Amino acid sequence: MMNSMNNIIKQIDDVLTITNSEIITNRQFAIDINSGDVHQSLAYLKSIGFTQLSILTCIDLIANNEFQLIYILNNWELGLFVIVRTIIPRDNPAFVTIINIFPGAKYYEREVHEFFGVTFEGNDSYSKPLLLEIWDDIPPLRKDFDPQVYSDSKFPKRDLDKIYRSKIGGVD
Amino acid sequence: MVLENQDNRNLWEKIGDFFSANSIWMKWYCTGCGAIELPPTMTSRFDMERLGMGPMATPRQADVLLITGYLSSKTLRRVIYSYEQMQDPKYIVAFGSCTINGGIYYDSYATINQLDKYIPVDLYIAGCMPRPEGIMNAFADLITMIKKGQANGWRHYQENYEWYKQNQLDSLKEVIIHDEFHE
Repeated sequence: MMNSMNNIIKQIDDVLTITNSEIITNRQFAIDINSGDVHQSLAYLKSIGFTQLSILTCIDLIANNEFQLIYILNNWELGLFVIVRTIIPRDNPAFVTIINIFPGAKYYEREVHEFFGVTFEGNDSYSKPLLLEIWDDIPPLRKDFDPQVYSDSKFPKRDLDKIYRSKIGGVD
Repeated sequence: MVLENQDNRNLWEKIGDFFSANSIWMKWYCTGCGAIELPPTMTSRFDMERLGMGPMATPRQADVLLITGYLSSKTLRRVIYSYEQMQDPKYIVAFGSCTINGGIYYDSYATINQLDKYIPVDLYIAGCMPRPEGIMNAFADLITMIKKGQANGWRHYQENYEWYKQNQLDSLKEVIIHDEFHE
């Protein structure tokens, strides 16, 4: 298994411009790619057998003022997962859609737009609401969104005489 | 707001309550993990039908609405929609600590914290999640309450409709459901 994965990584490294690669488990490896190369990289990976887009998601790296987009592709024949990671700026985050490579990304892109505010040029429906209805605040999975403040302002709480809290790891 | 418990039913209402207490059809709204406690309650191990309770497929023919767990603001719209479709008399049983005070997702941006602000709850079952014994116990209590005329949340909803509606609008902005697959 390890051997075939190393071969695949080498094969990918010869063709694509990878800034970094990392082996995570014996069936998973990650590659970091510049945001400009993502589309041709995904098209190439699809052509060598990574035919399924398992998920497209996003990580808010607020300390670096960046978003990281994560594409996880699955190769059914080898049982391998590749995690394609790319960095986009956090201010006015915008990216180009991949629905012409993986049509199922349409809904993932809607979800990423809803929870992180990333726009996807070329996907006509990216701005439609998917899970949230009538949302009126900044996207809720950004690190600077405070769910407690939002919940307090929106949903009334029961008045309790005493609130019992369990201690987790020595912290109240 | 406390639901009052005085008994000022006339004879026909008492007879009606006696009969409806003995044949309860329930509709459960499976919003959370609580739904998994219902199959053992319904099937041969605990067998709720010996109390006279049966499952019902649609809200229009059901007497009891079971809220089995978390309600997000999205599902609360559907619950209100289902509840308002039901015929009187109708009862709500709310499951678990999540409907009482928000449970472990008390600070979530999406889950509501106190269900009885939005719809009248006749009976709460505490626990996370309540076991089938707790559910059976609650059903027995609900039957007693209906026989005594104490389960009058539906009347409370009619009389305080503006109060409930205002709370719903404060939290949800709009109760009407906009759904891309149905428009």
